Amino acid sequence: MSSSIHILIVEDEPDVLDALVRDMEVFEETFPLEVAATAGEARSVIKQITGEGGKIGLILCDHLLPGENGVDLLISLQDQAQTRNARKVLVTGHAKLEDTVKAVNEADLNHYIGKPWKKEELHHVVIQQLTDYVLENEKSFLPFMHILDSSRLADAMRKGSSVTDS
Amino acid sequence: MKLNRLQTAGLILGIIGFVIPLLFSFTGLSFAGHLALGIFLMAAAFWMFEPIPIYSTSILIILLEVLLLSGQGPVFMDAELPVQTLQPKETNIYTLPTEAVTEDSQILEVDPDGKLILHKVEIRQIVDGRADIKLPDLQGDMQIITDASHRLVGYGPNNYADYLATLASPIIILFLGGFVLAETSVKYNLDRNLTRLLLRPFGAQPKYILLGLMLVTAVLSAFMSNTATTAMMMTVILPIISRIERDDPLRFGVVLSIPFAANIGGIATPIGTPPNAVVIGALTRQGTEVAFSEWMILATPVVIIMLLVAWVLLLALFPTKTQKLELNLSGFFDKSLKAGILYIVFGFTVVAWITESLHGINSNMIALVPIVVLTFFSVIDKDEIRNLPWEVLWLVAGGLALGIALNNTGLAQWMVEGIEWGSFNRFWLLIIFGAVAVIMSNFLSNTVTATLLIPLAISLETSGIAGAGFDLLITSLVIGICASLAMVLPISTPPNAIALSSGMVETKHMAKAGVIIGAIGLVMVIAYAFFYWPFLT
Repeated sequence: MSSSIHILIVEDEPDVLDALVRDMEVFEETFPLEVAATAGEARSVIKQITGEGGKIGLILCDHLLPGENGVDLLISLQDQAQTRNARKVLVTGHAKLEDTVKAVNEADLNHYIGKPWKKEELHHVVIQQLTDYVLENEKSFLPFMHILDSSRLADAMRKGSSVTDS
Repeated sequence: MKLNRLQTAGLILGIIGFVIPLLFSFTGLSFAGHLALGIFLMAAAFWMFEPIPIYSTSILIILLEVLLLSGQGPVFMDAELPVQTLQPKETNIYTLPTEAVTEDSQILEVDPDGKLILHKVEIRQIVDGRADIKLPDLQGDMQIITDASHRLVGYGPNNYADYLATLASPIIILFLGGFVLAETSVKYNLDRNLTRLLLRPFGAQPKYILLGLMLVTAVLSAFMSNTATTAMMMTVILPIISRIERDDPLRFGVVLSIPFAANIGGIATPIGTPPNAVVIGALTRQGTEVAFSEWMILATPVVIIMLLVAWVLLLALFPTKTQKLELNLSGFFDKSLKAGILYIVFGFTVVAWITESLHGINSNMIALVPIVVLTFFSVIDKDEIRNLPWEVLWLVAGGLALGIALNNTGLAQWMVEGIEWGSFNRFWLLIIFGAVAVIMSNFLSNTVTATLLIPLAISLETSGIAGAGFDLLITSLVIGICASLAMVLPISTPPNAIALSSGMVETKHMAKAGVIIGAIGLVMVIAYAFFYWPFLT
């Protein structure tokens, strides 16, 4: 499973991190969850995963972190080849408008989830973002049909020629 | 390229298979037959274990054939049959190089038409590499081959263009026409809108909705690829399934109905699925032309009965608890001018194909009409043409090229000669071909299954070993149709894989229904072979 697609959660408050991980557990089997408390930790986790041939599909990132903040982390990750294609979601209650605008413009932020989040909303966003990632980056959609947006994946198979009669 | 253990085994097996015939000499098989056997064994191993993609194996076959078997390849490029005119030494005694006499004391004469005639001779003495032979009916001016084991004995190499031409064979062009129509239909959403329109008459009762889904899927997959049809139908059924209670087995029935109907529907027309192309291509080369409409008359009754069988079976295995299902079938047909051109071209082409026997214009020729018209008016452009599943055409072409080599080198005949066919009557022969096809296609690509079995049927016909009751068309139909009855496993066909990947059914559900459908299908096909097809051909 070295080429598996990982989800990275960056959150410094242990209680909030626990709650996020609990709500994200359904994805664990297909998309291994990785956690980090700071920007520095996040970078070393990314380095380790990509070093083993894995990919980062989705980053759920808090804004207020000790040291470097979430938006700046996402912007710097946007400049790296290994994380450019990862879908980036800000999960925060404290980002100011100007930070959010900066994240959208410079980090290609894909979505913004306000705290406290609803589990259904979180699932919906994660499914759509990972579906986007899979459609753009993967050749075979079949391994993801059962957990992601199967209608969109099936429609992509209908239109593309990734699966054909044999 | 990283291979798993099975693929590595397949790679090694394929290479060994290719080398073995070069190391051993099999009696009764020409030199070219040995080369063809190597290609055949390698292709079979590569197709079964897939160390390389199946279409790559097909292209490899064509490459090896043009190099090793064609008259222009390095093996036969400068080859000339060594002949000499027979000259008498004394009365009725002739002298020839010893290589001219085979192990069982025969010599080979080339008659003025280039045909080989065998003569049994009596060897008087062998001196200095020359044999004195005696036979009263030999005449002095005969052309005798001086090397009986020469590579050109029993084999006239094809032009290499024959092998290359498989990629433009009429059946491939017919498929190309179908591909272009399907691709354009997807672009303008004709497939999905047609589905919604056709589903409307089936009401709200779950069992009739299931029947409707299966009929629509089958009709579409008869003209589009089974895989694309399944993918499209998944987008139609997913919202339906979300409205079914979680504990209602109807969910399983609905999900399984799509790949089953797509696999079965592909049987209905020549362009429905690639195994049909393999069958028709091989029959055409044997001089048996099968018109589009003829194929439909032969195959559609099987499709209808199998759809009903699958429908009843799915309802019985997964009885529904739901009384009523509301479907949202709203949709808008694209009313642009280009979409309009597509509707007209689609309608025209399909009608022209299925009425081939009425107007007599070959369907393979008609297949060019949609390609020309749709590109002429830019209804599709380069992007869509690039998006066509070209590798499927390569796959079929490689299969056709393998068939040519097997027959021309005498390999196919040599293979069937080893079996005592007289001990099988016609019934068992068809059962065996059908059962082997169903089983093989559950594990291998359907096209590969048909490709590996059809040459055997053809050589049974050409060699006459199987006797007078043998009918090539019927045997080929049994093989071709049974190759589409693979519904046991997710790996059996891409439609099965798509349905399973949804996570809404398990392999055990598919296996249970698939084994029963395969078995009933086999019985049905054999029944048609005895009670329906003989009265049409």
